[in-house]
Amino acid sequence: METDPNIYSTKLLKRRWLSKKSFEIGLEKPSLFSFKPGQRICLIYNTAARDYSMVSTPADNDLILCIRSVKDGMLSPQLSTLTMGTRLNFTGPHGYFTFQPSARPAVFVATCTGLAPFCSIVSSGAADITLCHGVTLAEDLYYADYLRSNVKRYVPCLSNPDESSADYFSGRVTDYLQKHLAPGAYDFYLCGRSEMIRDATLLIDERFPGSFIYAEQYF
Amino acid sequence: MKIYTGTGDRGKTSLFSGERVSKASARIETYGDLDELNSIIGALVATLAPGHAGLVNELEHIQSILFDISALLATTPDSPAIDQLKSFSLEQFDVLEKAIDAWQKELPELKGFILPGGHLTAAWSHLARTVCRRAERHLVSLLEKSFQSDIPDQYRNAQIYLNRLSDYLFVIARYCNHLSGTPEKLWKK
Repeated sequence: METDPNIYSTKLLKRRWLSKKSFEIGLEKPSLFSFKPGQRICLIYNTAARDYSMVSTPADNDLILCIRSVKDGMLSPQLSTLTMGTRLNFTGPHGYFTFQPSARPAVFVATCTGLAPFCSIVSSGAADITLCHGVTLAEDLYYADYLRSNVKRYVPCLSNPDESSADYFSGRVTDYLQKHLAPGAYDFYLCGRSEMIRDATLLIDERFPGSFIYAEQYF
Repeated sequence: MKIYTGTGDRGKTSLFSGERVSKASARIETYGDLDELNSIIGALVATLAPGHAGLVNELEHIQSILFDISALLATTPDSPAIDQLKSFSLEQFDVLEKAIDAWQKELPELKGFILPGGHLTAAWSHLARTVCRRAERHLVSLLEKSFQSDIPDQYRNAQIYLNRLSDYLFVIARYCNHLSGTPEKLWKK
């Protein structure tokens, strides 16, 4: 299991806004740092520390993180404005939220920036999967084009009824699982809000017995 | 991050290897015992007077090992997740056996069955010993149900470790009484 983590020094290299509230940052990857797709780091700036999963793959040159700017957040407001070249620290890699292929079909379920570890896993080669991404606004369906082309079934879910369109499933990710996922045993990978993880887990217990669940709770 | 998830509200929990199982299953019962044992060792550490860094370090090392064993039990044997676990080395038995021998040397000879208790620290250690025995019984039962023939080394080693640990905790209970000058009370037949 996890032991005391190493502390690494890094530098902010780039920032790209993905929507009005979400952005990705690129950090210099220390030469001695390695991770598995799906793992996270704990990013530290001054006295603030926050866990973020890598969007990038272990083979990429930089560490890419996907961040939601939260008003009064511990770290995200600072990360949205820090000047390039700012030095930060991080520990890691943390967690065991990695892809474990099996005979059961894999279903990835994310809310908001909980998509991050799945991007790393997909970019590292996992393709035969169903990926449901739940957000409130369509603009937060980051990486949609990439995912649509790289996974077997990509299901964008919009919980805001005002944004309903034929391009998206209208409703929460759990509504999609309940209404459209065929009965059977799956490997579910859940990442994002605790409410989604709770609701999805209870639904899986009821409707998809024999399934396995791997979960990473963000907030 | 929220400490409560609500995913266990209907009596099921997730194993490290991904399966959903009843909270009443033998596997959960066993690592629940280890959690209880770990907490009691924590209480023992908390009640030790200052100046026993060696013993505290030893007990805290044991607490970490108990986490390792719990993680092993939270993983089904055929799961690929088992590769993510720290391997349980045989060296741990040596550490425990050497510690038993070292503490034992400081104690008067045992002349019969002693009543569990005495100083508060000794009482915690006796309580830890009995929970350790229960954890071992549950583990043996789990292994007998899980494996038809050969039990994989990792699981067998965990069982041996618990067997040795209860002996260690018995010696530590005696040592705690000895340290505090609390006389041991013999069983009066």
